[in-house]
Amino acid sequence: MTDERDPKVSQRYRELGAEEPPTELDAEILAASRRAAETRLAPLVPPTGRRRWYFPVAAAAIITLAVAVTVHVERQQLDPGFSGLRSEPPEAKKDSAPQAELRKAKPTKPPATPQPLSRAADAMQERRSAESGAPARLLGQVAKADSPEAALERIAELRRQGRHDEADKALAEFRRRYPDYRISEEMLKKVEKP
Amino acid sequence: MEAPDEQLMLAYRDGNAGAFETLYLRHRGRLFRFVLRSVKSRATAEELFQEIWMRVIEARERYVPQARFTTWLYTIAHHRMVDHWRRRGLSLVELDEQDAPGDAPDPARQVEAREALARFAQALEALPAAQREAFLLHEEADLSIAEIAAATGCNPEAAKSRLRYAIAKLKAAVEDD
Repeated sequence: MTDERDPKVSQRYRELGAEEPPTELDAEILAASRRAAETRLAPLVPPTGRRRWYFPVAAAAIITLAVAVTVHVERQQLDPGFSGLRSEPPEAKKDSAPQAELRKAKPTKPPATPQPLSRAADAMQERRSAESGAPARLLGQVAKADSPEAALERIAELRRQGRHDEADKALAEFRRRYPDYRISEEMLKKVEKP
Repeated sequence: MEAPDEQLMLAYRDGNAGAFETLYLRHRGRLFRFVLRSVKSRATAEELFQEIWMRVIEARERYVPQARFTTWLYTIAHHRMVDHWRRRGLSLVELDEQDAPGDAPDPARQVEAREALARFAQALEALPAAQREAFLLHEEADLSIAEIAAATGCNPEAAKSRLRYAIAKLKAAVEDD
């Protein structure tokens, strides 16, 4: 510290005296400080000690919940069993779930009202297809098929042409799209790798 | 070994009333004299002194030891003093340039002025408020030039200049003895 003091000035200043506040004032201030300590305000700093876990645990719980809800919603949209959640025409409810799903995959006039859940499902579908590495054309063949049976016929045709790689990928895509569709023994022989 | 001021203030912030008492007893005398010699009136000094400590108590939750506790304490004191001067229609800046006119010395004071100590006291009273504040912060509160600048919100050059002017005038008063 830079000391600018002049010894004579400092000495004379000390001679002025060492006045102190009155004891009553001391008592008032200390009493106020004790009252304030007893009625603590909400902390403005992160919790410490044992409470330091509160914030990370709360943050992790929120993130987990958000991810779980997102995944759940996406799965619902891709699961034909939940097709009732979509805004489909009433007659679609009469069809079997795979058929209704397949109809939706057909290029149709865009709905007049936004359908964010359906669009999200479609986007998810495309993303998964891209990740699988299957040729877009093949996936399109499956997606654009009128029915699961028609899709299986296309796969069987690929087998007959000896395009086994494409057939394998198309079959995998079919099974992903229609996980509960039971393929007959006869069709199975046509679509599965010999 | 005594606990540092900053540690005591943090302990008080966390609810330890005893830490505040230690801190208060450590600084009460110096702060009181700083205020008393700034305003001259004991009644006013007591009122301001209490208000400064109340502000310390109120500000405990926001306290972060970025500098010495002493600097923080006297920053609060400075702000309270500025409020006081403003209420009286004065400002430290105005009083920085010119010597305070001071009260007309009464006969009793003229008699006392013959004594060296009274002359010194009178010289201290006659200092411009900003110079007197810089001197008291250095001499009484033991603040450095940089800390005086931080506490009073001026640059270090201004703080140094005020302090030097103050000491030069007080030294002249001492040497007149």
